[in-house]
Amino acid sequence: MADEPLVDWEWVFEHLDDLWAATYQHLQLTIIAVLVGLVISAVVSLLIYRDRRFYGPLVGVAGFLYTIPSLALFALLVPITGLSILTAEIALVSYTLLILIRNIMAGLDGVPREMREAADGMGYTTWQRLARIEFPLALPVIVAGLRIATVTIIGLVTVAGLIGQGGLGALMIRGFSRNFPTQIYLGAFLTVVLALLADAALLLLQRALTPWNRSGAR
Amino acid sequence: MSDPSAGGSPARGATVRFEHVTKRYEVKEKGPGAVNDLTLDVPAGKICVLVGPSGCGKTTSLKMVNRLIEPTSGRILIDGTDISRQDPIALRRGIGYVIQQTGLFPHQKVGENVAVVPRLLGWDAKRRRERTDELLALVGLDPARYRDRYPSQLSGGERQRVGVARALAVDPPVMLMDEPFGAVDPIVRERLQNEFLRLQEQLAKTILFVTHDIDEAIKMGDLVAVMQRGGVLAQFGPPDEILSDPASDFVARFVGADRGLKRLSLARVRDLELMPVVTAREGADAAESRARAKADAFQYLLLVDAADRPIGWVDQDAIPAEGRLTEDIAISMSPLLDGHTTLKDALSMIIDAEVVAGIVVDRDGRALGLVTAETIGAAMRDGVVTEAATRNEPPDEASDPESEPDREAAATGEAIARG
Repeated sequence: MADEPLVDWEWVFEHLDDLWAATYQHLQLTIIAVLVGLVISAVVSLLIYRDRRFYGPLVGVAGFLYTIPSLALFALLVPITGLSILTAEIALVSYTLLILIRNIMAGLDGVPREMREAADGMGYTTWQRLARIEFPLALPVIVAGLRIATVTIIGLVTVAGLIGQGGLGALMIRGFSRNFPTQIYLGAFLTVVLALLADAALLLLQRALTPWNRSGAR
Repeated sequence: MSDPSAGGSPARGATVRFEHVTKRYEVKEKGPGAVNDLTLDVPAGKICVLVGPSGCGKTTSLKMVNRLIEPTSGRILIDGTDISRQDPIALRRGIGYVIQQTGLFPHQKVGENVAVVPRLLGWDAKRRRERTDELLALVGLDPARYRDRYPSQLSGGERQRVGVARALAVDPPVMLMDEPFGAVDPIVRERLQNEFLRLQEQLAKTILFVTHDIDEAIKMGDLVAVMQRGGVLAQFGPPDEILSDPASDFVARFVGADRGLKRLSLARVRDLELMPVVTAREGADAAESRARAKADAFQYLLLVDAADRPIGWVDQDAIPAEGRLTEDIAISMSPLLDGHTTLKDALSMIIDAEVVAGIVVDRDGRALGLVTAETIGAAMRDGVVTEAATRNEPPDEASDPESEPDREAAATGEAIARG
């Protein structure tokens, strides 16, 4: 045991397909969760944009969901929705909401008052102003939220392995049960790599979407 | 509304009338300043400057015209039509709006910024592009160079020009300008003001212009409305009237103790009758020159070069009895003025140089005559200043040090011809 290496490279090369499949599955669970979370957050944010009084209650609910420990939430949902992908996604999505709604609203609120007034003075309607002025100007803050949410979810998907939804979490659980460290280390390592890559990709996306920010003053 | 077609003759201004307009804010409500029973008539094609200390309601008054703020009572008419009956969105698209510094949208390129209202009105891309290029050229920016830049890549002065171009996009009869030149340094501001006045001479828009700077108000306004705290109109009239006949202590204090000098800035050297000057060319016959100088009451003869450009003064007693005039007998020089120099600047230059007279030259630098402190004082007494101020001609291109030389020369020539 003592002279056994941390990573059994022979096993790794024999199971590259499995590793890729687990990583791919992990990414898939993440993307679905973040996209669904983004759509729900966008709708909720529009509601708040229309009427500020919704901010407290809606962010309160999102905040409550955020505080439930992930294992507890899975445990609560399994009797209702079973050991299914739905269970996993409901839990994952609920963790994105607070981050995304807060950042969308912070982004929109960060648009200078003078900018809104300039748009009004030009004759933009409320929705034209939102779509063409406020939303683009809020993009950096919104994408920043998207980055936090994505990295958070990549971590949480590991837990979804517990309810049999695969991904790198499942790889690690197998490693624990078989007392085979290679799978544990590899699962952890790939999770971190995935999180870093996703974060970098979103940063590039933000740069691409906001070309005016890097053109710089002369 | 105007036909906003590109290339057609521009829509002339419309009248703007405030009728007993009052804006009050509730105790908890925040607002830029109340307005109290404002009645104001701005004739078509004129610039009316709203000026006053902060909190005097000048910006509130402006924003009530495009209904960013709704009056508590009273009404505003544009060309006789009550604006409260118009759809605010359509109203705003038909009014030019220029805002200080932050007015441009940072995420839109210059071309997109200029085409904001055309786009809202549904113009196709080709028409928008043509209009944008036309407008950028109009405000002195090369379309090919500036169209695809972001506002952050422009200087303050360039941004303000784009702001003006944007406001003109659909050729609105009325323009609202809220401290449009507030965010640039004094030299650039002066240039932008002059350019804008020249532009306005062609466009003849009805313009409401807000500033806290009385000098800017006097320079830009055909009419000046001085407002005081509480949104009360303290005085409304042409700039010379505000300066020469302040309606209250408040107005007198606001325009400042130097209002006499400020009035001098409303008239230019070309408005004066110049004092003749005896000149002699370098190399001219000394005896003949001496005789001519002695015949004149003025103690000095002006020595000029072969192109009649002043070299310096020669005391008539120092002219040799015979021989030729040489440069070394000249003792001093006076400041050189030209037709578009304001009387205020002329007086300042004469006093500063510690001389009696300034020499007026044409655009080739040839001496035309003299201006003295007495000439200027007499012009003030005889009403020349008031008359010139009433004409309120825009400044010449030549007063801009960095303007293009050919246009500069043309404008100066015209100024001299008038002077």
